[in-house]
Amino acid sequence: MKVLIIEDEKALSESIFTYLNSEQYVCEIASDFRMAMDKISQYDYACIILDINLPGGSGLDILKELKLNHKADGVLFISARNSLDDRLRGLNSGADDYLTKPFHLSELAARVSAIIRRKSFDGNNLMKFEEIQLDLTEKTVMVNNRHIELTRKEYDLLLYFISNKNKVINKGAIAEHLWGDNMDMADSYDFIYTHIKNLRKKLIQAGARDYVKSVYGMGYKFTVR
Amino acid sequence: MKLFTRYLRINLFATLVIFLLASIAFYFLLWYVTIGQVDEDLKIEQREIVSYVNKYHRPPEPINVKDQNMSFETSHETILTRKFSTIQSPSKTEKEDFREIRFTLPINNQWFLFRVSKSLERTQIMNRSIIIISIITIVAILAVSLLINRWQLGRLWKPFYSTLENVEKFRIGTKRTPKFDTSSIEEFNLLNTTLNHFIQDAEKEYSLLKEFTENASHELQTPLAIVRSTLDVVIQDEKLSESQSNALQTAYLAIQKMSKLNQSLLLLNKIDNRQFSDITSIDFKGLVEQKMNDWQELWQGRNLQITASLESTSVNLNEQLAEILLNNLFSNAARHSAEGGSIYIKLEKEVFEISNSASNGPLDPEKLFKRFSKGGQATDQHGLGLSIVKQITEVSGKRVAYRYAEGKHYFSILF
Repeated sequence: MKVLIIEDEKALSESIFTYLNSEQYVCEIASDFRMAMDKISQYDYACIILDINLPGGSGLDILKELKLNHKADGVLFISARNSLDDRLRGLNSGADDYLTKPFHLSELAARVSAIIRRKSFDGNNLMKFEEIQLDLTEKTVMVNNRHIELTRKEYDLLLYFISNKNKVINKGAIAEHLWGDNMDMADSYDFIYTHIKNLRKKLIQAGARDYVKSVYGMGYKFTVR
Repeated sequence: MKLFTRYLRINLFATLVIFLLASIAFYFLLWYVTIGQVDEDLKIEQREIVSYVNKYHRPPEPINVKDQNMSFETSHETILTRKFSTIQSPSKTEKEDFREIRFTLPINNQWFLFRVSKSLERTQIMNRSIIIISIITIVAILAVSLLINRWQLGRLWKPFYSTLENVEKFRIGTKRTPKFDTSSIEEFNLLNTTLNHFIQDAEKEYSLLKEFTENASHELQTPLAIVRSTLDVVIQDEKLSESQSNALQTAYLAIQKMSKLNQSLLLLNKIDNRQFSDITSIDFKGLVEQKMNDWQELWQGRNLQITASLESTSVNLNEQLAEILLNNLFSNAARHSAEGGSIYIKLEKEVFEISNSASNGPLDPEKLFKRFSKGGQATDQHGLGLSIVKQITEVSGKRVAYRYAEGKHYFSILF
């Protein structure tokens, strides 16, 4: 699946590239308006990560061009402006999601994955990781075809992990994903620990292997290895 | 004291003194002139008596009428000059002032003392009338001038008060510069133009400052995004040691704090810019319940006792701001109560109140809502939470109040 990163900050686009580029996605970078226009006219992408402010033009114009040519590419807006106006403008002109800088790459990856899933939705919105299967429409989880009962937070956590499989996710990113900006970080780390512990227990009890690895009090990794 | 009250007071005092002095002088002058007139009449009487005596060599028959008496008696002494004096009524029956002339005349080698007196009643009545009329005139003049001044001055000062009212309504940063009426008085126009310049300058400075904060915050977002995403990439390295990981976690926390601070600054700016103008009637009880639900986990984790009594209330507020408001108050209450403490939430028709058991004494209400003021221990906080609360209540026409009682901090929002 191809992902296009349209972002003029080279350091940022390279980080995104390094993080996303894997066996799952093939990434490309466009660093200005013209380059971006060239690329979208030539290829189709599963998802486009689009910065609103670009040298040479606005990200919104790129979005218009896409809609004009009836392209089905999913679009994730990223912007430094956390203003509702920008968000509404972006979503009204057909963007699939919106993310404000500074974001965690794990959050970006989760959003990209969600957009692609939605776009390629073919009747059964299922997501698989080894013996674990998530039904994204019903928000239910099966392990070895047996249904397991998860809380809302545990479900969100599992989905977040699988969207970022084989990646170390910082616990700050997990806290932000689960509770938004409201919570004081120092407090939320204990809660993350509790939720992960419970999720792990439930998965193992249902017969799944233990995929969650703790990384030096810095974060967690969901991996087979 | 109002300017024209003071002016009137001085004016009134001066006028009264002048009028009083003039009245006293007038009274004495009048008295002197009328007494002179009576004395003139008495002299005529004397001349008549003298010519009668010269002609008939005997004193005339005393004729006493109501306001004139004449009497004579033999005398051993002579009065060389006639004498005038004011006496009580000679008849003693009625209390009345008389003016009397005494003189001596020789008749047939015998000295006679003559007394002729004239009543002063009419003169006194006239004098009294004149004084009364004067006083009435003075009072009338004063009253009328007072009324005219009041009316006229009130009218003259009207532009001044309208300017004042305009300035009073003016709030910096609201983009509603006051509109001053032009007046026919030069001074007031000068005042208005000066104020206009002043307000425009202040407004300009204020918006420059705001723009600066906004731009600075926005410009910071991209470098922050770069640092954070770089960290996200670095931690993927499997060869990281524990100490390297710990160092990276420290960097994460600092970036976290910085981006939160930046977001809060941007939020304050947006509230200032009134970008949350969409006001709807919110089911506040529902919102409070929803937020309590969100926070339940954190509260339970800290063993906080939550007590709530909520009345159904709808409040006109921007929905986003209402959420931010509750989040900040809840977060504040949770942060400042010791583990195992308690939080009380109360919602009534006019007021929302949240209180928490305090670990220390009362907070300084002066500093509480200021930006970057930190309440004692919580150093991981940037100190913008309560100033955001204040800002939200201000732009929404509500009021926030703090009080400390019986070991509890109370924060109330008055709708």
